[in-house]
Amino acid sequence: MTHGLNRYLRLLGHLARYTLNRELAFRGNFLVKVSVEVLWLCILTAFYRVVFGRTTLVAGWNEDQYFFFVGCFFALNGLIETFFLENCSDFAELVRTGDLDFLLLRPIDEQFLISCRRIDWGTGPNVIMGAAVMAISLSRIGWHFDPVLLVAFLVTFVCGVVIAYSFMLMLTALSVWMVRNQSLMEMWWLFTSLARYPKEIFTGTWAAPLGRFFTFFVPILLVVNIPSRIAVKTLEPGMVAFTLFATVALFWVSRRFFKRALRSYRSASS
Amino acid sequence: MTPPDALAPAPFATADPFARPNHAPPHSPGRGPVATVRKYFKIFRASLVERMAYRGDFLFGTLLRFLPLITTILLWQAIFKGVPGGRMSGFNFREMIAYLLLTNISRMFSSMPGLAGGVAKEIREGTLKRYMIQPVDLIGYLLSYRAAHKVAYIVTSFIPYAILFTVCRGYFDGFPDASTLAVYVISLILSFLVGFFFETCVGMVGFWFLEVTSLLYIVMTLNFFVSGHMLPLDLLPHPWVDILKWLPFQYMAYFPAVVFLGKVQGPDLHFHLALATFWAVFFMALARGLYRLGLKRYSAYGG
Repeated sequence: MTHGLNRYLRLLGHLARYTLNRELAFRGNFLVKVSVEVLWLCILTAFYRVVFGRTTLVAGWNEDQYFFFVGCFFALNGLIETFFLENCSDFAELVRTGDLDFLLLRPIDEQFLISCRRIDWGTGPNVIMGAAVMAISLSRIGWHFDPVLLVAFLVTFVCGVVIAYSFMLMLTALSVWMVRNQSLMEMWWLFTSLARYPKEIFTGTWAAPLGRFFTFFVPILLVVNIPSRIAVKTLEPGMVAFTLFATVALFWVSRRFFKRALRSYRSASS
Repeated sequence: MTPPDALAPAPFATADPFARPNHAPPHSPGRGPVATVRKYFKIFRASLVERMAYRGDFLFGTLLRFLPLITTILLWQAIFKGVPGGRMSGFNFREMIAYLLLTNISRMFSSMPGLAGGVAKEIREGTLKRYMIQPVDLIGYLLSYRAAHKVAYIVTSFIPYAILFTVCRGYFDGFPDASTLAVYVISLILSFLVGFFFETCVGMVGFWFLEVTSLLYIVMTLNFFVSGHMLPLDLLPHPWVDILKWLPFQYMAYFPAVVFLGKVQGPDLHFHLALATFWAVFFMALARGLYRLGLKRYSAYGG
C-alpha cells in the first residue's frame, strides 16, 4: 500500500511540474488569472466591509470571525479549483467525444487520472490569499496558539476538502448519463453557494429544516463551517466526529458512484 | 439539430410490386399564414422534443439555480436582523430582495455573452474582411443580431422568471404605476444599449491585442460589483457612491432596479435618463472610432 501511495505521489509531483511549466510558458495569461482572483477577493472584502459598517453581527458572527470564515472558504475553494475543478470540468467532454477511452486504458486508477490530471496553478495563490485573510482575522481576534485547536482545524479543513471533492466527483459522474451536461463550473458554483455562508443563516420555519438537511444528509454545510467554528468560535467534539464520519462515508459513496458511472459509460468505439 | 424535414417529398412505396402506384404529387411547401404557422410549430415541437430529451439535465440545472437565491435571501435576512431600524440607505429587507431579483432582469438586458470575444475572434481569424467587401456594417449587424437574440432569450425565459417572481411576490408591493413602468422599460432599453456598446468597445481592443479574453475577465469581475449587481450602490460609503453614480456601469444593473422600486424620481430620474443616454451615445461613438482606427492597422490575419 505504501509503495502504491508513493507511486501516486510521485506521479502527482510530475503532473504538478509539467502543468507549472506549461502555465509559466504563458506568463501573461497566468498573471491575468491571478489578478482576477485578487480582484474577486477585494470585492468580497469590500462587500463585507460595507455590511459590517451597518451591523456588528451577521448570523452570530462578528466581523473578524466572519472574515476568518471568508478566508477559510477562499482557501478551501482555491484548493479544489487548483487540483480538481478543471479536470472534472473536462470529464463531460471526454465522455461526449469518447476520448475517455484513452484514459481508461492507462494502468492508473481512473479516479486519480480523471480528477488529478492537471493542476490549475492560476488559482493556487487563492490558498495563500485565503490563509492570509485567516491569519489577519486571528491576529485581530487576539488568538492564542492552541495546538489542540490547530490540529482540529487542520484535520477538519482537510475533511472539508475531501467532502467538497466527493460532491464534485458525484456531479462529474453524472456527465455519463446527462451527456449534454451544463458547464460543471457553473453547477459547482451554484452548489457551493451553500458552503459560502455560516450555517446559522438557516433559521426560520422553512430554512431550519433545509439547514439540517444540508448538514446531516447532504453535508455540504460542514465543509467550511466546522473548521471555521473550531478556529474562532468553539470546538464541538460531536460535530468534529460527525465530520470525520461524513468524510469517510462520502468519499466511499462518491468513489462507488464514480465507478458505477464508468461501468455505464458506453465507449465511442464500435 | 436538423428539424424534421416536413417539407421533403414523401417517399414512394416500393416494397410491394402489386401495390397501386401512388400518383399523388409530392408534398410541396405551402404558402400563406397557415403554412407558415404550421412550419414554425413543427420547429417549435422539434426544439421542445430536443430540449426534453435532456430533461434530467434541465431539471437538475433548474434545481441548482435556486440555491444561490435561497442563500442570498437567508444571508440578507441575517444581515438585516442586526441593522438598527431595519433599514440600510433607504432599503429594508423586502426591498433589498426585490432589488436583487430586479437586477437579474437588468442583467438579462445588459449582459452580452460572447460579444467582445466574438469581435476579437473575427479580427484574429480574419473573417472581419467580409464587412469590408459586403455592404454590411459590423456594428449594425451585431446590434441587430444581439437585439434578436435578446428578444428570443427574453421570450424563452419569460415563464421561468414569471414563476420565480410569482413565488417571490411577497417581496414586492405590486407593480408600479404606468408612468414608472414606462420609464422602467426605457431604462431597460438604455441598459441594453450601454451594455452592447460597452462590450463592443472592449471587443475592438482586439485590433491592438488580438486576444481580449483576459481583459474581459477583469472587466466583468469588476462590473459585477460596480454595476450594483451584488448590492445597491447606495450602501457604499462616500465618495465611492458619488463616483459610481456618474459612471455608466450603474445602468447595467442598479438603475433599472431602483426605477422599478420608485427610488429614483423627479429631477434625479430625468438626470439619470439623460446620463444613461449620454453614455450609450458615448460608447457608440467610441466603438465607431475604435473600429475606424483599428481598420487602418488591420492586416486580415488568419482567414
